[in-house]
Amino acid sequence: MRDAITLQTRAGHWLVALLVLGGLVFAVVGFATGDTFYLRLATEALIFGGLALSVDILLGYTGLLSLGQALYFGLGAYVSALALIAWQSFWAAIGASLAAALVCGLAGGLIANRVRGVYFALITFGMAQVLAKAVYNTRALGASDGLIGVPVLDINLGLFSVSSASPVGFFLFVLAVTVLFYVLAAYLLDTPFGRLLIALKANENRVLFIGYRTSTLRLGSYLVAAVIATLSGALYPMLRGFASPELLFFSTSGNAVITVILGGVGTLVGALYGSVLLTIVKSVVGSWTEHHLIVIGLIFMAVVVLLPKGLMGLVQPALVSVLGRGSRR
Amino acid sequence: MLDYLQFVLTPQIVTGLALGVAVILVALGLTIIFGLLDVINMSHGEFYALGAFIALALGQVGLPFWALLFAVPILMLPIGYLVERGLIQRVFHSKDRHITTLLLTFGFALVLEDALRLVFGPNPYKPETPIRGAVEVLGTYLPLYRLFMVAIGGLVIVGTALIVYRTRLGAMVRAAAFDRNMAASLGVPVERVYAGAFAFGVALAGLAGVLLAPIYSVFPTMGRDFILLAFTVIIVGGMGSIGGAVIAGLFLTQVQAISSLYISPVWADPIVFGIMVIMLVVRPQGLRGGLGHA
Repeated sequence: MRDAITLQTRAGHWLVALLVLGGLVFAVVGFATGDTFYLRLATEALIFGGLALSVDILLGYTGLLSLGQALYFGLGAYVSALALIAWQSFWAAIGASLAAALVCGLAGGLIANRVRGVYFALITFGMAQVLAKAVYNTRALGASDGLIGVPVLDINLGLFSVSSASPVGFFLFVLAVTVLFYVLAAYLLDTPFGRLLIALKANENRVLFIGYRTSTLRLGSYLVAAVIATLSGALYPMLRGFASPELLFFSTSGNAVITVILGGVGTLVGALYGSVLLTIVKSVVGSWTEHHLIVIGLIFMAVVVLLPKGLMGLVQPALVSVLGRGSRR
Repeated sequence: MLDYLQFVLTPQIVTGLALGVAVILVALGLTIIFGLLDVINMSHGEFYALGAFIALALGQVGLPFWALLFAVPILMLPIGYLVERGLIQRVFHSKDRHITTLLLTFGFALVLEDALRLVFGPNPYKPETPIRGAVEVLGTYLPLYRLFMVAIGGLVIVGTALIVYRTRLGAMVRAAAFDRNMAASLGVPVERVYAGAFAFGVALAGLAGVLLAPIYSVFPTMGRDFILLAFTVIIVGGMGSIGGAVIAGLFLTQVQAISSLYISPVWADPIVFGIMVIMLVVRPQGLRGGLGHA
């Protein structure tokens, strides 16, 4: 039995496959032309796509708007940078980030989930802002300069290893990790837990009356989003060699929200396409004028008013109807 | 002990009071807009910056400071009215009104901030303090301009409360906040009341911008830091509550001012935010009830 949500998820899978294909072609072209800049930029777009994915889990599926997802992204970046400087090991950095994500995600979730709606948006905004200020003023963490001097590392994957200094290798690695995040999120949202989150978004009281603990569900959703955002952030210092307080600022959280809205709320894949699109718009407009925020702000407002389902709202319905016809046959 | 009170504590309290009054002006706008329209205005901080920049521009043309106090809020009124009618009304009836309007005003904040940077450049301006000198009260020297800020801000705050709670117009605003449809069927022009309230809130933010410009510098991102404090004030005070915003605004800025005597001022924000977290855990609805319930 395929219901509308399953079909939509299937359509998402196809679009992710298309993105991976595009990524592979891009990697081949980049490798052939010996490019570094664009491969690095695309890697960054994917990393921020992971952050946007976490925002979409909260906003698109659970109905919680987080204006402070940068808290976890920055947390991952700083913990990973510290671990990399101390141990030069990828797995140590990921392990430390994961532990930090679970601890801070639980603490932040318990605080933020006291409240709903706009209060949730404001408290996540505030929590991120406070952590950003604390880091910005802590000399041990490099204060306003951030943590610099993260070493180049070889990521040991058992059969082979990838150097974070190789533009193509690290791009492909981040592409794989981002797809892994997508698969993880899509799988979780397809389980009964995920369906309950969708029900929560539609009507929290009814879910409560059926007999589910909605507070646990919301905390679970928050925790999953926190882990994905933190692990995305953990990749950042491997790419750029530093972690800066800007990663914790509201501009990072706001960008993630813009990404999700542009790409399409509640589609998961929209977050990834949105991130690629936003990066392209930023570099194209940025080459004309330094005032790219005006353009991005206007595009964003237009999408909010005219295209509530974002970019995926244009593409996905057609794909869903094709897939739906296939299932009826 | 007396010296401490005279030279350290009292000036700090007055400084905190001046800031507090400005924060309350910003928070009042936010809380009225939320209490009436159910809209979190993410561009409120940028309207505050816009007020400061309009004051800067008019001041360079040669307008005296006292005229700016009237001119800037009056100029902000039509801007706010148009933003509400042109933008917010467009998505007002969508399913997720809270989130959609928040996103829309966030987008507008990006545009407004970058537009200010485009016109005025990224560097800070420092307008001259319009009222110089200090006055001696019981051996303590208090800067005149801060006292002036407290007086003007206090007047506007009391005036706002009187308009909302003691006039026919205010009754219409409160009725619309309590039950939109009922108010509309009793002949209250709800949409114009909404736009008017938004414009009024934005004008208050602009006035705060004029008052604070000589103390802080004027720069395009000046609204960002300030808005977190204003949000904290309306959450602690109770969203949509005028009295709550005043109490919370005075309390939180005093906490900030006095705590920064003992610890580094950069940690004052986390302390104030800690109070907000405790408040949300203990009493999520804030100190006082909303606009339609007082």
